[in-house]
Amino acid sequence: MIRASNLSKIYGRGSVEVRALDGINVEIQKGEFVGVMGASGSGKSTLLHLLGLLDRPTAGTLIIADTDVTRLPERERTLFRLNRLGYVFQDYALVPELTAEENIYLPSRVRGMKAQECTRTCRDILSLVGLKDRVNFLPGEMSGGEQQRVAIARALVNSPAILLADEPCANLDSRNSVLILDLIRQLNRDLRQTVVMVSHENWHRKYFDRVIYLIDGKIVPDPGAEPGTAAP
Amino acid sequence: MLEEEKVALFLASRIIARGNKGTLFLTIMIIAMVFVNLIFLPSIIAGVVVLFNQQTIDYSYANLVVEPREGSLLISNPTSLVGKINRIPGVVASTPRYSSGATIVHKGKSTTPLVIAIDPERESQVMKVHKSIISGDYLSDSDTGQILIGVTLAGDREQKVERTPTLGGVDVGKTVEVTFRNGVTKQFRVKGILKTGTSLIDNNAYISRRDLASVLGDEDPANQILVRTTTTGDENAMRLLLMQYGVQEQIWTWQDKSLDFLKSIVGSFDIINLISTVVSLIIAVVVIFIVIFISIVYRRKQIGILQAIGIDRRIIIKSYIFQALFICLCGTICGCILLLIVLQYLAANPLVFPGGPVAPVLETGLVIRSIISLFLVALIAGYIPSWLTTREEILAAIRG
Ligand SMILES: Nc1ncnc2c1ncn2[C@@H]1O[C@H](COP(=O)(O)OP(=O)(O)OP(=O)(O)O)[C@@H](O)[C@H]1O
Ligand SMILES: [Mg+2]
Repeated sequence: MIRASNLSKIYGRGSVEVRALDGINVEIQKGEFVGVMGASGSGKSTLLHLLGLLDRPTAGTLIIADTDVTRLPERERTLFRLNRLGYVFQDYALVPELTAEENIYLPSRVRGMKAQECTRTCRDILSLVGLKDRVNFLPGEMSGGEQQRVAIARALVNSPAILLADEPCANLDSRNSVLILDLIRQLNRDLRQTVVMVSHENWHRKYFDRVIYLIDGKIVPDPGAEPGTAAP
Repeated sequence: MLEEEKVALFLASRIIARGNKGTLFLTIMIIAMVFVNLIFLPSIIAGVVVLFNQQTIDYSYANLVVEPREGSLLISNPTSLVGKINRIPGVVASTPRYSSGATIVHKGKSTTPLVIAIDPERESQVMKVHKSIISGDYLSDSDTGQILIGVTLAGDREQKVERTPTLGGVDVGKTVEVTFRNGVTKQFRVKGILKTGTSLIDNNAYISRRDLASVLGDEDPANQILVRTTTTGDENAMRLLLMQYGVQEQIWTWQDKSLDFLKSIVGSFDIINLISTVVSLIIAVVVIFIVIFISIVYRRKQIGILQAIGIDRRIIIKSYIFQALFICLCGTICGCILLLIVLQYLAANPLVFPGGPVAPVLETGLVIRSIISLFLVALIAGYIPSWLTTREEILAAIRG
């Protein structure tokens, strides 16, 4: 599903250059639920930005769903994000002027679904994330957990190949975090949805199939894993 | 692709409907003000020009001026020529005049204004002098030895310093002594004081042609015939028509006559108008651009997110153009309402210029041009910032 070879991202130039990602090789299969962990500044978000086509790598190749995305021109990248990727931000990133339903409606409508079909899909997906009765609420009228569930629904509405989430629980209390993690795992199990999620909470490990552990932009064996099951 | 526009419209409508109402209202009001600013001064100036032109027609020249043939000082047989001109279709009426300088003396003060001899009844069908009498009465055809004095010429007893020579405060009923070019002196009783607001006219004196005839020893003296036509604006055609009907005297239009002193005033106004329009337009461009630019910069993060979830930048740009156009539409409508209120107010409380109250003239062309330019500005103001914002890196936009 995802194959990254020698992927690097270098910020700055010359003496002040920061190797946020330093030639990493990753392969993720369809249906996997992968956690990305590591200390602050280790390059987790940078990796997710590259996978989410929000940024371009300095070097290396990235193949997602059999497409060499490093070679795509800007408009194709936007289309690829719309059709193949779902991205969940730490701070929900909903459009504040749109209701829960409209936030989800937007990407499905842009994808070319007919208005009526869109509305039905939006309702379905909102009940999937347990927000049937929040359809016409604005983001400002919802709790953080509810907003994050709307954001997940928005990321899923176009049935993406991969769901990417950058610390989706960072702004939530543990009760809501569990709710979100359960939801994502359920989607992963029931729909065989491939998920890559950044986290720095150790207790999240139990949700992940495996962990990609980063130190200074390099993948290292996961120090938190039980001996013998460490990722390569 | 119409689907794209639909989505853009959807996004724009929600952002406007659920965005900050205060900001929206202020933005619309600013555009309304800019719109009023774009139209108000030019229409006042147009009103002043119309007033000036009307004054010229009503008090100085009517629509056409017939003058003696080249080489002669008098029109021969003016009364029969007036009758002939009056029969020409498109002519309302015409009237003979004899204008010359004469010295008027009153209580030791003397001055030499223009004294215009008129046929009072005929004159009142062509000119508006009879409507500007502020005290006393207008002349009648049977009057002899009566004179009308312009208010400026009459002067004011209280006034210590005079800007122009006056008679130092003449009242109705007083007697003045007029000495004509040929040396004949005659006593006149002041029958009325007139005030037009145009200083040139208010410096004149009017007597009847009958009195002048006895002074000059000429039965029918005239050096001008003023012609009032049914419509103002086709003077050139009427001039040709008069020539076709056999009028062999020189014929001028009021525009020809006012060429020197009025055209320069109107010309100056045109320049003021042009400058004011250009300045207003620049202000409009800058204000609308800044207001919309700020609102888009303020939504930079949101634009980044929309792009991150795969919304094409063209949709985003279009949605901001729609917003800008909508704001502009509301602003223009409010501006029109505001303008109507101002015009209503001015109709009730007119601006008084020398020469009378000025009615603002709303030129349709100017209104349409202003609306078009505002919409063009809105289009650009919606396009450029959203184009710039969607062009920058998504992550930079999201970070804000
Ligand atoms: N736009 C940027 N310009 C320069 N350096 C950057 C930029 N973005 C990230 N970096 C650097 O890249 C490195 C990796 O950053 P990244 O955001 O991927 O870390 P992270 O693992 O997500 O950290 P955290 O857990 O705090 O979110 C950091 O050293 C950071 O300073
Ligand atoms: Mg991070």
